[in-house]
Amino acid sequence: MSNAATLKSSSITPEKLKSMLYDMMVIRNFEETLKKLYQQGKIHGTMHLCIGQEATAVGACVPLTKEDKITSTHRGHGHSIAKGTDVMKMMAELLGKETGTCKGKGGSMHIADLDVGNLGANGIVCAGLPLGTGAALTSKMKNLGYVVLCFFGDGATNEGAFHESLNLASVWKLPVIFFCENNLYGMSGSIKEMTNIENIAERGAAYGIPSETISGNDILTVVEAVERAVERARNGEGPTLIEAHTYRWEGHSRSDARKYRTREEEKDWKKHRDPIALFKQKLIEENILTEEEYGEMEKKVQTLMDNAVEFAVNSKAPDLDTLMTDIYA
Amino acid sequence: MREITYSEAIREAMSQEMRNNQDVFIMGEDIGVYGGAFGLTNGMIEEFGPERVRITPISEAAISGCAVGAAMTGMRPILEIQFSDFIMIAMDNIVNQAAKNRYMFGGKAKVPVVVRLPGGSGAGFAAQHSQSLEAWMTHVPGLKVVQPSNAYDAKGLMKAAIKDDNPVLFYEHKMLYPVKGEVPEEEYEIPLGKADIKKSGTDISIVATGIMVNRAMEAAAELENEGINVEVIDPRTLVPLDTETILESVKKTSRVLVVYEAVKRGGYGAEIASMIAESDAFDYLDAPIRRLGGVAAPIPYNPELEKAAVPQVNDIIKECRKLMNK
Amino acid sequence: MATEVVMPKLGATMEEGTIVSWLAQVGEVVEEGDAIAEVQTDKIVLEVEAETTGVLLKTLYDEGSTVKVQEVIAYLGEEGESVDGIDHKSFSASQAAAAEDSAIQERPFENPNKKRRTPAARKLAEANHIDLRRISGSGPKGRIQKNDVENYLVENTKKITPLAEKIAVDLGIDYKNVTGTGSNGKIVKADLLTSNPTNESHVQPAIQQGEKRVPFKGIRKVIADRMVQSANTAPHVTLTSEVDMTNCVRLRKELLPVIEKISGCRLSFNEIIFKATAHTLQRHPDINVSLDKNEIVYHTNVNVGMAVAVPNGLVVPVVKNANQMGLAALTEECKALGKRAREGKLLPEQMQNGTFTISNLGMYAVDGFTPIINQPESAILGVGTIKEKPVVINGEISIRSMMVLSLSFDHRIIDGAPAAAFITDLKETLENPFKLIV
Repeated sequence: MSNAATLKSSSITPEKLKSMLYDMMVIRNFEETLKKLYQQGKIHGTMHLCIGQEATAVGACVPLTKEDKITSTHRGHGHSIAKGTDVMKMMAELLGKETGTCKGKGGSMHIADLDVGNLGANGIVCAGLPLGTGAALTSKMKNLGYVVLCFFGDGATNEGAFHESLNLASVWKLPVIFFCENNLYGMSGSIKEMTNIENIAERGAAYGIPSETISGNDILTVVEAVERAVERARNGEGPTLIEAHTYRWEGHSRSDARKYRTREEEKDWKKHRDPIALFKQKLIEENILTEEEYGEMEKKVQTLMDNAVEFAVNSKAPDLDTLMTDIYA
Repeated sequence: MREITYSEAIREAMSQEMRNNQDVFIMGEDIGVYGGAFGLTNGMIEEFGPERVRITPISEAAISGCAVGAAMTGMRPILEIQFSDFIMIAMDNIVNQAAKNRYMFGGKAKVPVVVRLPGGSGAGFAAQHSQSLEAWMTHVPGLKVVQPSNAYDAKGLMKAAIKDDNPVLFYEHKMLYPVKGEVPEEEYEIPLGKADIKKSGTDISIVATGIMVNRAMEAAAELENEGINVEVIDPRTLVPLDTETILESVKKTSRVLVVYEAVKRGGYGAEIASMIAESDAFDYLDAPIRRLGGVAAPIPYNPELEKAAVPQVNDIIKECRKLMNK
Repeated sequence: MATEVVMPKLGATMEEGTIVSWLAQVGEVVEEGDAIAEVQTDKIVLEVEAETTGVLLKTLYDEGSTVKVQEVIAYLGEEGESVDGIDHKSFSASQAAAAEDSAIQERPFENPNKKRRTPAARKLAEANHIDLRRISGSGPKGRIQKNDVENYLVENTKKITPLAEKIAVDLGIDYKNVTGTGSNGKIVKADLLTSNPTNESHVQPAIQQGEKRVPFKGIRKVIADRMVQSANTAPHVTLTSEVDMTNCVRLRKELLPVIEKISGCRLSFNEIIFKATAHTLQRHPDINVSLDKNEIVYHTNVNVGMAVAVPNGLVVPVVKNANQMGLAALTEECKALGKRAREGKLLPEQMQNGTFTISNLGMYAVDGFTPIINQPESAILGVGTIKEKPVVINGEISIRSMMVLSLSFDHRIIDGAPAAAFITDLKETLENPFKLIV
């Protein structure tokens, strides 16, 4: 596992560093707000929260340009926010409104925003990998220069499509980054019980793909690893597999008693490896951020979220006649 | 007019579109110098090169998703699935991704991909290489399903399929590949959703799909000698379905026989029959709607068993006589 | 201000939760995020977490209670705060069950005797008002095919004129058994009218400012059409002749008990006039005629119709071969037909094939009138009342029972002389009824 990077080794500006922290705070507040709305019965269906995984979402997107693309997962709210999808529209989508990212037709698991290169969250485990491989093929065939980063969880690495996609991207040397958020559990299945290898990154070797395992809760480590992968991709050297260790604080979905893990384990991750707290502390220690500024940022995030909820609540539900539109182009 | 085979017609359509549009390319297993399992891509890699005639690993789960991802981002891929049976391994990408992306994303994505699917029995390939599972695809909103029965239609429909902005599943019948027909060299398209009356008649409307169109035509010629005048309708595309042409024919003849190679139970012919029964053409029916389809058994290897598993010309003739109470 | 703790929605399909246990006691301080209660959902047991830090002031449900999502289950607040004044909605699972209780509607059982037929056959039959039960099917298991209906139409329905068919439909007459008198046996309007029973009356009065308005339809309309048609096509000439009925009065008086004994019916002048008319008609075949397009039909049978007033109109039952019947039989037949007519029970065949009609208004203060011919017959006899009058006989005035006969005939096929000869002969027969014995 790579060591935590220092700010000195980073070429990122202080403003950018603060905006990264801000994005992480937005993601957490968004998820906490959803949790409350859900318990109030205002959200239909289910959803999968990514509290605790803010560093992988934001960190992986920092080296990407707007033209670069991502594919996401069912736990995808953080990825969408990090790639630049509008929070107001996402909130409206979660409440099933016509102003939502997908006009209220997609919901939590299908938020997509092609304008910012977000090829969509996905309700099917591992489905983003073949799609991302295809998007990378377009970049290569049309010489568009963009790279594609596929987010997926540890559970996806036991799907056939994971192996097939890595192989295909490797033989065609496609500009794609396979970014595994190893949060230790695929639903309730512990990765220790589901695979017989120490690190998922070892699987890259089988397909001739450079791979590494990093700490996913240290955002700067994530940024640096993805920067290296993006450079390889842009240089035509093909795909990279990154395994980032992280932890989801919440259960898999809204009905999860979390019997498969201990409260001690949860507390340990929350107390010692909270990606926001770690990054905030680092910025304060290196005099990039003050507590006052942090307080201001918190207020700003809360205002944004209050506005998003107000916007979503006050938005119209989609007309019934949209039921049969957008099926065919 | 010039006569070429069904497979040459499909190749000509693909090649013309690849010349017309740099975004069109074909990917699939063994489609390079090998020419594909059925020789459909013979000579194409020589003309277009390995970038646009893309040989893939045997990885249906990846290549199908890859084609969908490429389509979502601006390419117009043609994906050759070596045997239509192998689409099972690609199902998630077809059903959960390609078909739904546009809708789930509120109308923002389009997925212009053509999936070529050699299907059908008769070649002795047995149970895992001879199926007709097109009905599965017709069930999924967001997909279009095409099933040409001759060389002329195959070329025109393939060109329309490539130009369509939706995922199109293009079912080719492997027994039709060597069948020649008149096909003009110039470019033409047959719009998806337009049925064709292959033979007009007054007594019975046979709605047949795929290779069954050809068998229905043979049966019709035989029945003509018996004084039974059959009309043969080829829907050509199952989704969208040209209901109007079918219903008009039914109103004229008052009798319908739906013929399809797929297992009769749950086959697309059941949908056609239901559609007729629910329509105002019902009042014109002078006999129950009849279906002829494959038996509910896997396609067997032995050639006699294989023939017995799906409708043959004689089965169609017998069914027509029954419909006429003869 | 106390904070509500609600039953949280903890899964996509969760509608209600059961409180398994309270993990905090009333009065206890709980931190934000602490578990307050354990809740059983439709899937699993989950914890309800405190959204704020505070004292658990009150719990509203005992352990084991089932509570709908979003219902308040407890209050958190400051120590010592009262929540007694706060309203809260309670909910019981049994209420929900009762609300969802739905009655199963039984569908009426369809007629199992329905005939097997194709949709096309059914549609064609409906369009032509044909009852499919009349048709036998040639398809499998007797299924009626479209061509079965077509054949039926050729064989049956086409033997009626469109006008007659319309009348039949309007009146609800089953014309299947009506014998057509038109070309090739086609049923024409007249065939229906002579056979028209009167049990159909669809009068729906609509009173307006004291006046009564009745729809002009049904039997009334048929009679009207027939009268107009007859009056407009047949040039009517009416001859009248006064008949001395004194001998008939005597005859009736003597035969009445005799015939009553035989038939149980009381002889009336009507039957005597019937007998005399039938007898005379037999001797005047040029009066017992009909016009059928280009041909004059000389009937061999003498079938005499009898106009009977019925509510809302009149009908004409026919006494077949009246010339061959004795007075007793004739009396019995006339009484029976009259009764059936007034009861609306005439059979179609009892109104068919008349060759001449008698319209008797003798029970009224009517002397003579100009009856309208009941087509396709060519003549009709109007009978007036019998009254005693002074009459000159052989130069002497005597009191006789006199009656006026009015004979209308169709001058297209009957001329004045034969008509006059007929009425003269009839007069002589009635004045000397013994001639009937001849």
